[in-house]
Amino acid sequence: MTSSSLSAGRRQLLLAAAASPLLFGVPRLLRAQDAPLKIALLTSLSGPFAALGESMRAGLELMLQQCNYEMGGRKVQLLVEDDHGKPDEAIRKVRKLIARDQIDILGGVISANIALAIRDIVHDAQLPTFISNAAANALAREAASPYVFRPTKTSWMLGHTGGLWTYEHIEKSGGLTLASDYTAGREYIEDFAHTYQEQGGALGERIWTPLGTPDFAPIIMNLAARNPKFVYTFLAGSDAVRFHQQMQDYQLHGKIQIIGPGALYDQEDVVTAVGQAALGGVSTFHQSPGAAGAQDFVAAYQAARGRLPGEASTSGYVTGQVIKAGLDAVKGELSNKLAFKQALLDQPIDTAFGPLQFDPRNNQSILDIYVNEVRQDAQGRPFNTVVHTYSRIQDPGPRS
Amino acid sequence: MSYFLLQVLNALSFSALLMLAGLGLSLVLSMMNFINLTHGSFFLLGGYIGVQWLASGAPWWLAFPAAFVLCALTGWLLNQFPFRQFYQRPHLMQVLLTYGLSVIFADLMRWGFSADTLSPVLPQALRGGVWILGLPFPTYRLFLIVAGLALALLFWLLLDRTLWGAAIRACVQDAQIVETLGLDSRRLFAIGMALSTGLAGLGGALGAGMLSVYPGLDEEILLLALLVVVVGGLNSVRGTLLCALILGFVSTFARMWVPSFANAATLAAMLGMLLIWPRGLGGPVARQV
Repeated sequence: MTSSSLSAGRRQLLLAAAASPLLFGVPRLLRAQDAPLKIALLTSLSGPFAALGESMRAGLELMLQQCNYEMGGRKVQLLVEDDHGKPDEAIRKVRKLIARDQIDILGGVISANIALAIRDIVHDAQLPTFISNAAANALAREAASPYVFRPTKTSWMLGHTGGLWTYEHIEKSGGLTLASDYTAGREYIEDFAHTYQEQGGALGERIWTPLGTPDFAPIIMNLAARNPKFVYTFLAGSDAVRFHQQMQDYQLHGKIQIIGPGALYDQEDVVTAVGQAALGGVSTFHQSPGAAGAQDFVAAYQAARGRLPGEASTSGYVTGQVIKAGLDAVKGELSNKLAFKQALLDQPIDTAFGPLQFDPRNNQSILDIYVNEVRQDAQGRPFNTVVHTYSRIQDPGPRS
Repeated sequence: MSYFLLQVLNALSFSALLMLAGLGLSLVLSMMNFINLTHGSFFLLGGYIGVQWLASGAPWWLAFPAAFVLCALTGWLLNQFPFRQFYQRPHLMQVLLTYGLSVIFADLMRWGFSADTLSPVLPQALRGGVWILGLPFPTYRLFLIVAGLALALLFWLLLDRTLWGAAIRACVQDAQIVETLGLDSRRLFAIGMALSTGLAGLGGALGAGMLSVYPGLDEEILLLALLVVVVGGLNSVRGTLLCALILGFVSTFARMWVPSFANAATLAAMLGMLLIWPRGLGGPVARQV
């Protein structure tokens, strides 16, 4: 008797124990529906790309404020991580974001080597990822992933259009190239030279300079001695600032036509620093503060930070716009990743870059590429003015 | 011909910059036997002070003394705490302390002066160029060369030709003997540290016109300064100056002839010099660092 009553009691206890997770679990399941979506931004807030990282964050935050931290009817929570500009640090941070924070979407990344370093991790985790800034061609080709979208350009899209413009509108021969000696520089110069020579142009010497060159004067003297018709050049950040300034110091500014990918004349981190020394420079870029689609963003960014946006801030903003477009289409329901992906591929998205359409082969965006010339605007500021638009430039993509 | 002359002037201006970066560090590293890895931070701080001063509309020529004084003051404060507590500690401790501080300073400056690349608004007198044998040369670089030479001369006289210079060198050898002679070694070191950080700040303010200022410049300059001081030979101001001159010329002409290998060529020259003169260009030293 006693044993059976005891076992009855035990059975009830067991039942209660078995039921309790269900009882507590139901409201938890319900809550998961309206729990905020976690979007992480991985960017460089220290190290050589700190200025770009700050701008990228400001751009994305501006976009989130404008939509009241709500996408597809769900609240959005933003997590920001600093990769220090180093691939190993980026890998650590992405692993942590996936495992501990259980993020739903990843965005950001300034430099190409970091984008390539985290590619396998996000691919294996099937994490929807948006590469906002890194341009490496490989991500649209052999390293493309069905989970990685790239709202920004590839090196080819800028180098190729630079080649077209230079051949048609600058000179057909007598130019040379100058670039920072690392992956991005090599890609831009190679893509430029390929298109330019394909058109029939003849290209002179190629000068490479280590990344972070403190003094360009010796190289500038060589340019003066050779007196080329144009220089196609890729330098970014402080290298670009020094180059333009020293060109002006040696009174070569305006005597040799300088053309390059847009980072050379980035409105925010280069033109602001060099001022008048940037005037007359030409670049091909998927971003321009003068682009038609960017006007609302430019005004809002100027109000928020008191300056014109450059590539990194626009990238951050566009990343937010693209994620929002996808989430709105699936009503915030991310569990069906295929539907989310299809929604992104289905229709063009209006962004601050201009019209953007993802290529279904590699999730690489097809973008309008602007030819920007730095001219004085109405207030006398040097301003990247659109002088031509190459519409719907599409990377050759995976070679079959 | 004029092309070569101008490249020589380019090299001289880069040497002047190296000299400005190295002088202060040589005082702390070789005279005071203290490994100060925050040296680059003071260079950057001086650069920011210069840029802010020149943009503020105050008399432009005061920008350089202001950078010197403010950085010297900061250096003096840091000497009171925590540098002073580490002068007698092993070098590894000094490296850990000053490296950690340099990371903190980098963050503070990024917070205070933004992460953007900033360029100074140069006064009319220093802008523009002069024509040398038919080719333009920036006025600012001539100014830099003259300022660098003047400072180097002053510094060399101070350390090699004055009693104060002798006293500070004696302090490193044997502080106790110096104390028994009635000299306050703590005060001497405090002045030495302030002078060193002040010089770094002055170098930064002067160099900003050529390099611009941005986060990360601190590390680049620290590396160059260490190169100049170590290859130049510890305990020797003349060695530091000579080394700045040689490295300035090597890297400028490497950039002119083989730009892709400019860094490799500079480091190869350094390696060569260290192999030939293991104790540095400045001759024998009594002590190892």
